[in-house]
Amino acid sequence: MLKSLFLFDMTFWLYLAALALYIAYLFVRRPVMQFAPAGHPVEAYDDRDEGWAGQLGQVATLVTVFGWIVNSGALFMRAYERMQLSGTFAPWSNQFEAMAYVSWAIILGYVLLEMRYRIKAIGAFVVGIGFIAMGAASLLPYRYQTAEPLVPALNSYWIYIHVSVTLTSYAAFAMAGGLGLMYLFKERAERKGKSGGIAAAFPDLETIDELGYKAIMIGFPLLAFGIILGAMWANYAWGGYWSWDPKETWSLIVWLIYGAYIHARMTRGWEGRRAAIYAIFGFLMVIFCFWGVNFLLSGLHAYA
Amino acid sequence: MDGEPELALQPPPAPKPRASAQGFGWEEVSREVVEFFASIKLAMFLFLILAVTATIGTVIQQNERPETYIKEYGEQAYRWFTRLGLTDVYHTWWFTSLLGLLCVNSLTCFYKRFPAVWRSMQQDKVNVSLSFIKNMKHSAEISAAGTKEYIGERLVRFLAEKGYRVLAKNEASGVSLYATKGIMGRVGAHMAHLSATVIVLGGLIGSLWGFQDFGVCMEGQTYHIPRGNFDLHVDKFWIDYYENGAVKSYNSTLTVIDQGSPALTKTITVNDPLVYKNIWFYQSSYGDAWDRIEVARLNIKDKETDKVLATVDLEWQKEKVIENLGLKLTATDFVADFAFNSSEKKVYSKTVEHANPALRLALNERGTLEATPWVFYHYPDLFEIQGSKYSFELVGYQPKKFTGLQITRDPGVNIVWIGSTMIVVGITLSSFIYHRRLWAKIVPQHDGVILHIGGNTHKNQIDFQREFKRLIQHVETKSA
Ligand code: HEM
Repeated sequence: MLKSLFLFDMTFWLYLAALALYIAYLFVRRPVMQFAPAGHPVEAYDDRDEGWAGQLGQVATLVTVFGWIVNSGALFMRAYERMQLSGTFAPWSNQFEAMAYVSWAIILGYVLLEMRYRIKAIGAFVVGIGFIAMGAASLLPYRYQTAEPLVPALNSYWIYIHVSVTLTSYAAFAMAGGLGLMYLFKERAERKGKSGGIAAAFPDLETIDELGYKAIMIGFPLLAFGIILGAMWANYAWGGYWSWDPKETWSLIVWLIYGAYIHARMTRGWEGRRAAIYAIFGFLMVIFCFWGVNFLLSGLHAYA
Repeated sequence: MDGEPELALQPPPAPKPRASAQGFGWEEVSREVVEFFASIKLAMFLFLILAVTATIGTVIQQNERPETYIKEYGEQAYRWFTRLGLTDVYHTWWFTSLLGLLCVNSLTCFYKRFPAVWRSMQQDKVNVSLSFIKNMKHSAEISAAGTKEYIGERLVRFLAEKGYRVLAKNEASGVSLYATKGIMGRVGAHMAHLSATVIVLGGLIGSLWGFQDFGVCMEGQTYHIPRGNFDLHVDKFWIDYYENGAVKSYNSTLTVIDQGSPALTKTITVNDPLVYKNIWFYQSSYGDAWDRIEVARLNIKDKETDKVLATVDLEWQKEKVIENLGLKLTATDFVADFAFNSSEKKVYSKTVEHANPALRLALNERGTLEATPWVFYHYPDLFEIQGSKYSFELVGYQPKKFTGLQITRDPGVNIVWIGSTMIVVGITLSSFIYHRRLWAKIVPQHDGVILHIGGNTHKNQIDFQREFKRLIQHVETKSA
């Protein structure tokens, strides 16, 4: 019974190992990046990883991918257990499962990003956030971790799509938050005039900035879609598409915050440092929406 | 226009003609007004101020009774709450105005900027100056062998393969080329801008012409729905449980009776309402009725010895005959929280809580004694029945369940869904498709050509940079 819990545990340790490897990867010495006159790097980022760095990076990626596979297995297992127990399978039906799903989505997003842009240094930040999500989930008391059957209001096919879409948007915002943090690190190192050391492993500021923006541009429509799916569900379950319940209000607040961000991007001076700080702030609001509301505020959504 | 976006769709950016100092006519005023309402700064302000004010209602409980606020925050604070509308933030005039402003803002933005997007879908400038190309964010200069026509054709074919719309002009001085892709991203953004108003409009229609009622309904009863001009009969109500005893679902079978005859029967449950004539019936809650029961268990005792002579289960309003004691008993009334109105001489239930349950019996003892005593669950020896040999003790009862139905009509809901679709489609388009434009000039030299090429995009610089680099490489390798 509840074999999924074992797999979730294993996911936690694998992500921890991956995070340690990515951090170690940052500290390996490497030559300073060569810049073309226009300020753009001449080569792909990983091409500079010789010897140790390259091997560490590869192991880190492998462990991450393996962790993600175990994470997927845990979610599948949980879905199966739910099916046996109560006939619904959504493996994101309580706070614990939701967090395990978010970390699954963060890591998936990271792996895709690494495949496309080949910048392993991001792993230390983004895999870090995925790990923290998984870790916070496993810190929840045991009774939150088990697959209790759903209360009547949640027992609906809407849970499959509404919850997963919303949680995926959170993962995108988490990614943006991690990139924001990375931007600030790199910028600090540059201000201090250090071009070697850890900072050498980082991509240039503009790339970090753009990737962060991209993550938000993925999260923003997903959150809009998630909110609207929630409204449709509410229209079936509660008899009104919008009732200003704290959870839906907070997801709207988060959406408005990112709405301000994407418009701010179009005005001068809202890239770079300011955008990075804003992305971190936005992510903190997401955390509140995801956690704080469930535990601090009361409302219709407080099932978890 | 400091801080305004670099969004100029018409290259090269034309310097804005300044209004003359004396001219302060209608035109200037209206231009200023449009400028103000179309500004992104206003949009950012509105987004953030809405976010901040929306938090209020999640921290302060909304629409509670005054006592609740006074107890929690004190009287002084409560007076401020009502003055500012903090007990019902989302329906205050100022919150609604902020939403209205956001609509005006996004509509004005659409009005001011969409025409340029539209024009650029039809046609764009092919011929631009060399310095315009050189000053673009991404630009390059390549010498290549071959004629200008040859290089031009290569470039056109390559860009067309990549999904660009390409316009080229061949002149003696050189080939000018313009290529664009992803204008739908911009159209999507403007779709999102219109959607805000559509959604707010739908909400407005719903709040003006819709209604929301709540009905506490009993199995077997028929209720008139005045706003729909038909009746609703509750055939059945029941609860399903999981194996571990948790509630799995609760369900009511309802029959709509229109003009005397049954029109529709459906079992509703949470997440599955009944809809008739645009009125929706939702299974919203259930609970214990406060004015009737299913069955009650009574101990009949000998008044003298206090010995229990019999234990009987009385069904609601059904006479029970207990032969050996010469008793006929009926449970006729029930209140969950006993109270007595002395001026009207009436018993009623003070609250819906089962705080002081009491059952009224109709009693016939040996055909001679008739009485209608109240029997209290918590106070078994409160009243004595004059002349009776017995005393009665209410040891338990099973309350009747009521089904809580929410009854709603919202004529605006479909408009809200249209707006929602627009916002999701619009934002998705604008997120995943980005508008990029390239200009090139191929100038013949004595031993080949020089290709000047430049491009820009309003976002997604890194992907565009990769694409641009690949384009340059393509030209270089082909000409080398
Ligand atoms: C009401 C909700 C609004 C939503 C959901 C919304 C959404 C969007 C989205 C998704 C984009 C595309 C962003 C990008 O391409 O990076 C966009 C662009 C833009 N928004 Fe909004 N917006 C809203 C309100 C406003 C308002 C009130 C203004 C007022 C100035 C505004 C001005 C703009 C401008 C100028 C653009 C660029 C348009 C273009 O690319 O041609 N938006 N908006």
